[in-house]
Order: sequence, then structure tokens, then C-alpha cells
Amino acid sequence: MAQKTMKEQKMQTVTARSRIGSTVVKAFTYLFLIVMAVIVLFPFYWMIISSLKTLAEYKWAKPSFWPQTVMWSNYAEAFTTANLGRLFTNTVIVGVISTLLSLVITVLTAFAFARLEFKGKNVLFAGLLATMMIPGELFTITNYATVNSFHWLNTYTVLIVPFLVSVFYIYLLRQNFLQIPNELYLAAKVDGTSDLKYLWTVMIPLSLPTLISITILKMMGAWNSYIWPRLVANDDAHRMITNGLRNAFKDTTGDVNFPVQMAAVALVSFPLFLVYIFLRKYIMKGVSRSGIKG
Amino acid sequence: MVDSKKQWKAWLYLAPAIVLLLVFTVWPIINTLRMAFLDNYNGMRAVAGEKFNIGIENFKKVVEFKDFFVCLKNTALLCVITVPVSTLLALLISSALNSIKFLQKFLQTIFFLPYVTNSIAIGMVFAAMFNMVRTVRIIQTAGIVNNVIMFFGGQPVNWINAGSTYWANMVVMIIYIVWNALPFKILILLGGMQSINKQYYDAAKVDGSSRSRILWKITVPLLSPMIAYVVITGFIGGFKEYTSIVGIFGENMGPASAAGRLNTMVGYIYDALPNNDYGRASAAALILFGIILIVTLINLQVSKKRVHY
Amino acid sequence: MKVVLENLTRVFPNRTKGGEDVVAVNNFSFEIPDGKLVGLLGPSGCGKSTTLYMICGLQKPSGGKIYFGEDDVTDLPPEHRGVGLVFQNYALYPHMTVKQNIMYPLQNLKGEDKLTKDEMLKRTVEVAKLVQIDNLLDRKPSELSGGQQQRVAIARALVKMPRVLLLDEPLSNLDARLRLQTREEIRRIQQETGITTIFVTHDQEEAMSISDMIVVMKLGVVQQIGKPQNVYDDPANLFVAKFLGTPPINVFEGEIRGGMLFIGDDPVLAVGKPDRKVVVGIRPEGFILDERGPMHCKIKGVEVMGRDVSVVATNEASLNPVVRSIISAESKVDVAAESVRYSIKPHKLFLFDPETEERIPFEV
Repeated sequence: MAQKTMKEQKMQTVTARSRIGSTVVKAFTYLFLIVMAVIVLFPFYWMIISSLKTLAEYKWAKPSFWPQTVMWSNYAEAFTTANLGRLFTNTVIVGVISTLLSLVITVLTAFAFARLEFKGKNVLFAGLLATMMIPGELFTITNYATVNSFHWLNTYTVLIVPFLVSVFYIYLLRQNFLQIPNELYLAAKVDGTSDLKYLWTVMIPLSLPTLISITILKMMGAWNSYIWPRLVANDDAHRMITNGLRNAFKDTTGDVNFPVQMAAVALVSFPLFLVYIFLRKYIMKGVSRSGIKG
Repeated sequence: MVDSKKQWKAWLYLAPAIVLLLVFTVWPIINTLRMAFLDNYNGMRAVAGEKFNIGIENFKKVVEFKDFFVCLKNTALLCVITVPVSTLLALLISSALNSIKFLQKFLQTIFFLPYVTNSIAIGMVFAAMFNMVRTVRIIQTAGIVNNVIMFFGGQPVNWINAGSTYWANMVVMIIYIVWNALPFKILILLGGMQSINKQYYDAAKVDGSSRSRILWKITVPLLSPMIAYVVITGFIGGFKEYTSIVGIFGENMGPASAAGRLNTMVGYIYDALPNNDYGRASAAALILFGIILIVTLINLQVSKKRVHY
Repeated sequence: MKVVLENLTRVFPNRTKGGEDVVAVNNFSFEIPDGKLVGLLGPSGCGKSTTLYMICGLQKPSGGKIYFGEDDVTDLPPEHRGVGLVFQNYALYPHMTVKQNIMYPLQNLKGEDKLTKDEMLKRTVEVAKLVQIDNLLDRKPSELSGGQQQRVAIARALVKMPRVLLLDEPLSNLDARLRLQTREEIRRIQQETGITTIFVTHDQEEAMSISDMIVVMKLGVVQQIGKPQNVYDDPANLFVAKFLGTPPINVFEGEIRGGMLFIGDDPVLAVGKPDRKVVVGIRPEGFILDERGPMHCKIKGVEVMGRDVSVVATNEASLNPVVRSIISAESKVDVAAESVRYSIKPHKLFLFDPETEERIPFEV
């Protein structure tokens, strides 16, 4: 009898211990995640509150975590200082045109590789995939020379044309097209539907999620592109947003008017946040399959 | 099935892509190889009609050039430190995320947020956070990071301003690059974890495995293909590091007192372009390609031994 | 180790607004004697797997108690219960060899239970011998057949010498021939080790063939508990009668008039009960070919099954599409004839209430 109660007690402690243990682990898990989340979010928070402070408040020895006087005028100043209107326009023009053209080319090419029969198809496709292994920097040198000899420097063309073809998006869309049963295509052929009509009425609607992912990533790519535009179109008329931001605020350190600079940074970041909030699903899906930025 | 009309149509569909690829992808591959092996090839002088000898002078120049090793060292250091750190951190965060239900989606959204940012823009925010202005001995603005250090009783550090040390700069770069690299790794690893059959965890629970044992003995081995993937892409991306440094330090690629100190391989290639030093740039690009290829092959070799099933 | 379930209940709250909670297991009480092999049997969604997971500790009961012997284990986490669980898909770790898989639970032991490497290896080899896979220890699960994987899973569950062994649909992933072989194997291992074993299945034949006892469940409620033969011979209700037996029991609309049971217009059996409508169940082996038998059916065909033949027929009162009877191959069936007449073995005929579907007992 005594033995039994001892055993019972032992079991009760085991039960209690494991219960406490799992609660403690849960608590630590949440604590860890929340601390990490705060670290991840902090730069955004700091950007926004700094952008709303007066320069004097920004320089306080003990920083304020909420602006005392909200300075919306920082945003106006940032907008004019960086000539953001022009930069936005340029970026949107380049982004929209290059995305549209790129979509058309990607769809046509993917369709040809997925559904049409022609000589050398597999060799050509393998060759395309092989180019994905080569770092883009290797192309840039010659492309710089090429566009130079075309006299394309400082035009919209130079920002749009060289990167219209993305082998990766072609690959992604082709895989998507291949999942659509070929019987649908054959049925359409029997009905006398033309290839283009079939593409438009069947293939594209069925692979809309992928196309949306491509569109968003392509637009984000235009918004964030820096290296190429800086090389080839760094004049006032054609400068793109990232490059313009960097140009308008050359000094990142030292005694700089940070509130205005942060306001400019925030203006560049907000469109991205909006896209992220509303189209998160497509971005994550596209990214998890590609792993390339923009 | 394959009649000539169909062939013709297929090529029509392919034409735009093929023309563009020929001009902007295929030709550059050939041309880069050509320019790299023409001694001292220069764009301007080539236009003027100058002929160049075939040789490996460009490669010699690149390797002999002191700055090249600075760039190589910076790039390699950043890779070797940031890839393991960000992978481990991403692994911990995703396994924590995977073990909770409440707030999981919300936290996941937050952790992915840095991915959709502009690395130049947010680099400027990091610069502001690490910035410090002082005249001789009096600190005028400390920047939030130094404020926090001082709050806990530490000495403020000159992170990125004129006169800062190399390692202070590197610490800032490492923090920024890790911050930037986490979202993608978390996305991939969490996705991988969620596709692991739940029964393995039930089985481990019945067997009485501790949480850390489950993580290291079951989750990590089952996740090894995904881990290999993020490590390889991490190294490839790391060797192309450039814009994040521009974001924080500007095109100086270093603090005001030591411009170019943080330059990277990619930066080195681009610096050669405006001078029309295409030969040297091509050689450097081929070297970069070679390094990436070797690192990737080593990674694949290691993961072949370590990646299970 | 006997296992006692006391008013065990598990409710899954319905997350959609206004929806009703789902009662997966409702008030289940049962005492499993020490060293027996018990089958939990029922169609999918009957709560049998939930019951198993609660015994194992992976799911928490909403109410009721679970005892192993005298110990209340209701709130104990699985690793402290001393259970071994074999999963439906085996859940073998694909990155470990067979040996590592089996040894894995031993490596988790802590404190006074901790084993040395040699002891672990000895135990692993012992249990591998028991399930006859000691020649496969260095293979990976992907290099094994389904049956071999099953044995590894059982070995892994047994290596800690559990007080209770639990198997979730142990045969469902095997082909027909392996299934037969493996169920004998499970029986043998259970008898050699003497470990109280509970397994879940939706296949009544599987449960009947190896269990000491079966528990038939439906929609979270236990229908009947007993020895397989007893449950088969004496079903508590229409559901149990229908669920057990292949070919399944034949069901008819019937009526008792003046103490005589009528199926259609045929006076089948004197049952001595007050007048009422009933549902009649007759096992396929309950029919005897008899030219002067009281019951008639229209012949549709005969299926030869070797020792027996199965006569497929129809009857207007039948609630199944066809009436199936099993008779010895020696008795001659005239397929050309339009109809066939049967007399009925009284102990193979059951009466049920059409509303409650409960069994109505009768004396012949």
C-alpha cells in the first residue's frame, strides 16, 4: 500500500513536471519569436518615427520613441529634394512596360516549349537552363558595351530591353503549362480553336497565380533595381527610384538631416509595403519557388 | 505530327526571346571570354581600331592588383560569417514558428517583411541607426544603437563614421546582411518543416525524445535538402554582395576616412566599367564565376554526404 | 498490464461559427485484461483511432480516465506511459538505418533507465530477432519492402519493452498475401512477448482472425465488446451484424404475425413473439437448400468458391440488392430453375427493431 502511494506520487510529479516543462517551453518559444520579431521590425519603426521628428528632436541625447511634434513637412521636403515625382514616374514607366512585354515573351516562349513540337526543342531548353547558372555580372560588362554602341545610354529602352527575357520565369511557367492536361489542347485542336485563342482562354486563366507572382516580382525588381540603372541611365530625365534616392542623399553618415532622409526612404518603402500587405500570398509563392530577388 | 508549318510557328513564338537572348545573354558569354583573354583589352581603344594580343595579362593584372584581394577578402568573410549565422537563426525561428499555432501566420508575415524592402533604402535606415556624430570628445548625436549601448552602461562605438575600425564596419554589415537574408531562409525552411509528415513527431513523442533531440536528430536531417538549398543560394548571393554595402556606406564602399575598404568582388567589376577596362572586368567576372562554381560544387559534395535520402 | 478505460470521451470543438462540436469518442468504458490482443473495429470516423491515440497519450481526453494496471495515466505524457505505437505508415525515420531506427527510443532514456551502448545494441538485436529482421539491420527503410518496414516499426515499438503495444491499422498498407502473413506474425509476436496489445482496424476479417477480443465502434459509441466468435454469433444490433462477416449478412423486411415470422409471404420461422414489424438478418451460411423449405428466392447465379458455392438470388423483401447464401459444393443447385427454396438455421437468424435497430431476442 505504502509502495503504491509512493509510485502514485512519483507519477504525479512526472505529470506536473511535464506540464510545467511544456508551459515553460511554450513561453520561451513565444518570447524568442517576439524578441526576434521586434528586432526585425525595429528598423521600419525607427524609419517612420524618425521621418516625423524635427531635426532638433532627432538629435536629442535621449531619443524619443514617439515624435513630440509630428513633422509631415519632412515628407514634402523629401519629395522635392529628391525630385521623387520624376523618379516615381520613371520607375513606373519602366516597370509597367518591361513587365507587360516580359509577360508576353514569357508566355509565348513557355507555350512553345510546353506544347509545340519542333526540332531541337530539348537541346534549346537545356541550353536556356544552363544560362541560369552564370552570374549576371558576367553579362553586364558586354551588355554595357553593347548598349553603348547602340547609343542607348540614358534612354528608357536601355532600362527595359536587356532584361525582358527571364529564363527562370519561362521555366516556371512552362512547368505550370505542362500540368494542364494535354487532352485539353487536343480537344481544342479538334474544335478548331487556334493556338493563340487556346492560350488566351485556357492556359492563361489556369496559370493565373503564377503569372501574378511573376508580375509582382518583376515590378518589385524594377522598383529595387540599382546596379544597371546606375551604369546606363543616371541622368535626371531617366533616373530610377533607388538610384535617385542614393543620389539625392549621398551622405549616409555624419551630420545629415536624417528626418528628411528617412521620409524619403519611407516614401520609397511604402509602395512595397502596400504590395506586400495585399499580395503577400503571391509573393511568397513566387519567391519560395525562385529564390531570386526581384 | 511535326510538319513544317508547325515548326515555323513554334519558331515564331520563340523569336522575341531568342533574339533578345542572343544579344544580351549568348553574345556576352562569348564576348566576356574573348575580352578576358585579350591582353589589356579596352573598349575605347578597341573602337579606335587597336588590336590586342591573346594572353592572360588581364588575369595577372587582376590578381596582382592590391584592391582585388581586399574585395575578395571582404566578400569571402561576409559569406563565411553571414551564411551560417543566418541559416542557424532561420532554423531556430522556423522551428519555433512551426511549434506554435496562435499568432503563427501573423509572426510569419512579420518575418518575411524584410524581403520586400529596397536594400538601398533600408541600408540608409541602418546607417542612421548606427550613425554617431561627435566633435572631438562631445557626442552630438549617438544614433539609437549607441543609445541602447549607453543605456546598459556600455561605451558608444564608432560603427560606421570616419575613423571607425574595419571590424566595426563588418559587424554592421553582418547584422544588415543577416537581417536581409532571414526572410527567404525562414520561408523555405518553414515550408520544408510543414511538409514533414507529422507522424515522425508523434513517433518521437511516444519514444520520449527531448525537444532539442527532435530538432537535431529528426527535423534537421529530414530538412537537409532544404538546408542545403538555402546554404548554396546563400553562398551564391553572398559572393555577389554589393548593394547592401552601397546602402549603408554609399558608393564610397567604406567610411569617409577609408573609402573602398569594404568593396566587394562585384564592386570591383563595376569599378572597371566606366574606365572601359573591359578586359580586366571580364577577367574578374570569370574569376567570380569560377569561385561561385567551386563553392557550389564543394557545397554539393558536402551535402551529398550529409543530405539524407 | 491490464488497461482500463473509464467513461473516456473526446470532443473536437467545431471552429466554424454555430457548428456543432464533434464527439469523436463518447463515454467509452472497457477493461482490457492483461496480455490480450484486442481489436478496435469500425468504419472510418468511428473514433477508433482517436481512442488509440488517447491510450497512447498523443491526444488528451475531454473526459474520463485511463488506467494502466492500477496507475492513472490520464494526464501522463506519452513517454512516461510505457507504450509502444506502430503507425499506419510506420513513420520510420528515412535518414536512419534499421538499427538506428530501432535503437532510437533507447537513446532517449534518461536517468536511472539510461543504457550503455552495448546494452542498447543487445536489446536492438534481440528485438530484431524476435521480428525476424536481424539480417536487415544496416539497410535504410527505403530499401525494405512494405512487410519488412512493418516489422521494423513493430521492433521499434517493442524495444523499450512497453507495458502496452498499440498498432494503428497495421495491415492496411500491405498487399493481400502479405496481410495474411503479417497478421499471423503479429499474433505470434504478441503471444511470445505477452504484451497487452491493442490494434485499430476497419477490416473485420483482420480483427476477427487474430483478436482475443474485439470492440465494435460506430460514430464514437461502442456498439459491442466480446470475443470475436461471440460477437459474430450474437450481435447486439443491426450495425454490428452488418459490419461483421464476409459475405455480409442478408437483411430483409419482415413481420411477425401470430407468433410466425414472415418474410414477404413466406412463413420462415416460428418465433413466438407478439405481432410487429421487424428487420431480419440471416447469415449467408444460415440457408439450407430444401425443396420444401419455407423461403423462396429467384436465382440469379452461382459463384463457385472451391469448397463452397455462393448462390446469388433476389427476394422482394430483401433490403440488399441480392441475397447471398453459402452452401456446400456437394449440394446441387439447379441454375436453370427460376427459383430456389431454403429452410433457415434458427441460430443464424436475428431480429432487429426497425426503429432502434436493437436486437430482439427470441426463443425457438
